[in-house]
Amino acid sequence: MVAYIARRLATGLVLAVLVTLITFLLLSTSFDRVVAAVLGPAATPALIGPTKERMGLDRPVLVQYLDWLGHTVRGDFGTSYFTSEDVVHAVTGRLGVTLSIILIALVISVVVSVALGVLSAARGGVADRVAQGLSLVGHLVPGLLIAIGLVFALAINLQLLPATGYTPLAEDPGRWAATIAIPVIVLVVSGIANMTAQIRGSMIDELRKDYVRTLRSRGIPTRSIVYRHALRNAAGPALTVLSLEFLQMFGAALIIENVFALPGFGSYAFNASIQGDVPIIMGVTVFSVLMVVSLNLVADLVNGWLNPKARIH
Amino acid sequence: MHVRSRKARWTVTAVVVAALLPLTSCGAPASTPPGSATLTLGVQAPPNSFDPVQLLEGQQMYIWSAIYDTLLYSDNDAVLRPNAAESWQYSDDARKLTLKLRSGMKFSSGAPVTAAAVKTTIDRTKTTPGPLQSNLGSLQSVEAPDDGTVVLNLSRPDPNLLGSLAQGNGVIGDPATLTSPNTALDPVGSGPYTLDRQATVNGSKYVLQRRVDYWNAAAYPAKTVTVRVIPDRTALFNALLSGEVDAGSVDANQAQAAQKAGLTLKRVDGTAVGEFVLADRGGKLAPALADVRVRRAINMAFDRKKIVDKIIGGLGQPTTQMFNPKSPAYIPELNDKYPYDPAAARRLMAEAGYANGFSLTIPANVMSQMVQPTITQALADIGITANWKPVPPQDGTQTGEYPVYFNIAGTVPAPRTVNSKLAPAGSTNPFKFQTPELNALIDKAAATTDADQAGEIYRQINTYVVDNAWFAPLFTSSSNWVTRGKVTFLGTGANPLSTIRTFDAGK
Repeated sequence: MVAYIARRLATGLVLAVLVTLITFLLLSTSFDRVVAAVLGPAATPALIGPTKERMGLDRPVLVQYLDWLGHTVRGDFGTSYFTSEDVVHAVTGRLGVTLSIILIALVISVVVSVALGVLSAARGGVADRVAQGLSLVGHLVPGLLIAIGLVFALAINLQLLPATGYTPLAEDPGRWAATIAIPVIVLVVSGIANMTAQIRGSMIDELRKDYVRTLRSRGIPTRSIVYRHALRNAAGPALTVLSLEFLQMFGAALIIENVFALPGFGSYAFNASIQGDVPIIMGVTVFSVLMVVSLNLVADLVNGWLNPKARIH
Repeated sequence: MHVRSRKARWTVTAVVVAALLPLTSCGAPASTPPGSATLTLGVQAPPNSFDPVQLLEGQQMYIWSAIYDTLLYSDNDAVLRPNAAESWQYSDDARKLTLKLRSGMKFSSGAPVTAAAVKTTIDRTKTTPGPLQSNLGSLQSVEAPDDGTVVLNLSRPDPNLLGSLAQGNGVIGDPATLTSPNTALDPVGSGPYTLDRQATVNGSKYVLQRRVDYWNAAAYPAKTVTVRVIPDRTALFNALLSGEVDAGSVDANQAQAAQKAGLTLKRVDGTAVGEFVLADRGGKLAPALADVRVRRAINMAFDRKKIVDKIIGGLGQPTTQMFNPKSPAYIPELNDKYPYDPAAARRLMAEAGYANGFSLTIPANVMSQMVQPTITQALADIGITANWKPVPPQDGTQTGEYPVYFNIAGTVPAPRTVNSKLAPAGSTNPFKFQTPELNALIDKAAATTDADQAGEIYRQINTYVVDNAWFAPLFTSSSNWVTRGKVTFLGTGANPLSTIRTFDAGK
């Protein structure tokens, strides 16, 4: 088990190196423009040359990359070209905002979609149709539209929640909850839509299997069959969807953060790439890769815990 | 004071403490009771580094101009006023500028503001590559003969210099912290506010607290200024509607909705020029552009009135000029110079030997998007084929790679327009195009220290540039400022600089 985790983590690190190398190579083609952007509107070729040299961007690309890697391994991710903000500080600060929204949205989505999915698979009938209807609506209505509607209703008309901005949890828990409420609702709607359908599907598959019939014939109560046996087996595919959902929410966060003016990870990464802020882009890449790798690892481990067949020894 | 009894000593202590209390707790000196209002401003882009050599003008200036003092101050009518410099005087040949500093100014660190600090800051900007360096091209040396006097020696008269000293180049940094890495995020200045690092979230929210010991605190009615970065226009609008932000600029369609919601709307005309820049006038990449008839033909191909009505929703005015409509250089009659007349334009093209037209490569970016179809159509009408080349938003178009480009630029004071767009070494004169006639006019304007005379020369410059069709300006656009509550917007469009003195926070 330990060897397995170590192997997975090692693969993750190799992946991180590869992804950052490719990112760096892609960025290296526009270093001149990055320097011009740093210099601002007054950039002239006469200024760009020396500045590029001062920033060390004139060296061979591989040397620069290895230099960056060397510093990164020691925890020094550098500072932003434009604001001089420390990359680790900047990225973790913004990651905190995004994660606080996504994790809460994810927990709510899981609880609600498991309940809905199991209910509609086990009961069928009206419950099933309602759950499917909800899921369909969640799929069809774009999150952005829900966001705008909720802001208009709850923030502007009723003035119940703030329309924009973020207050850190440590500063004021009440305001924190208020600032993330609408973004969380928006993510939860699509999260529930995606996961309910998945859980319902795998539950129906499980409930049709032979072992369920055997259990029934033995007189095991339905509740026990559904929760102890079928749900446990259906959890595997649902877990995969869950980890995908997490990543999808990260992508959706970019839009959500813009609509609510939240200082989050997505909008930060987006702006850094528009500006060509190389140290920030690289930092964002490292954090994203590590997050995806560890998330997949956790998903696999949980899967193994749920399903002995998927266990790795 | 000699205090005899123990009781008396206690009384004195109590009086002293009571006298000090308001100073420390409320932070307002008794002599000048400025307002205690707060102002929350919504801007669209986060500021760069606050290092004085990295300062950018535009909306970022709201923050840094509150932290740093500038030597001069450009008021809301774009008239230069004393600020950190109480007075200034040019020598007769306009090659020596002497500034007298106000006495008693202090940095937020407590250190006094001296001429040496001014010299250190300007010298550093002059020698460090950055956005402000090019404004100091004429500067030869800075002297600080005594604590209150700064002398700038110039290699040539520079009409752009005074204006620059009211902006980034006039900032006074604290020599003790200027080169510290902290300056980028936590600057020390002598301005009316200090940055509240505790409450500030980089890239998202900047909180400024007014200094109690600032010499001109009365000019800043807001005790606390919060600048919130809200890149999305709808989000900014929502923040205005819900009262999270007191002031911000909005789109034309949002302006009406804001008014209906009971907010104050102020439309400011002429804040930017939408310009189709015929940069390659020398014909380096597009030989046809060297012919003034072709450039005039392009000017006559555009139906400017229709562009204003249909593309920018009536929120602007047609123009053929690059200058700020409120600057002395602007001549309303020049706008009749190139009426929309494709037939006449085609005749001009034929005269120039381009009856069969030619093609132009034009960069397509976020800014050009809305006018691309119109430009393509207008040029096609006179035989010119537009080949749009997509350019990512972070890439410049004023680089000398493109013979023409569309740009929307803020209207700056006339000397700055000349300095950047028309001067041979101008930063937005990508082909460094020049003519002896215009150079002579530019030099003449530079050597003139009399404002009326200078205004006349700028009008001549403008007439020359429009006559020779150096550009094909299409429209000046307006801004819509929405404010709520007691906050009012004081800008007139004459001064495009973003300082918090364009807002009155009320009492």
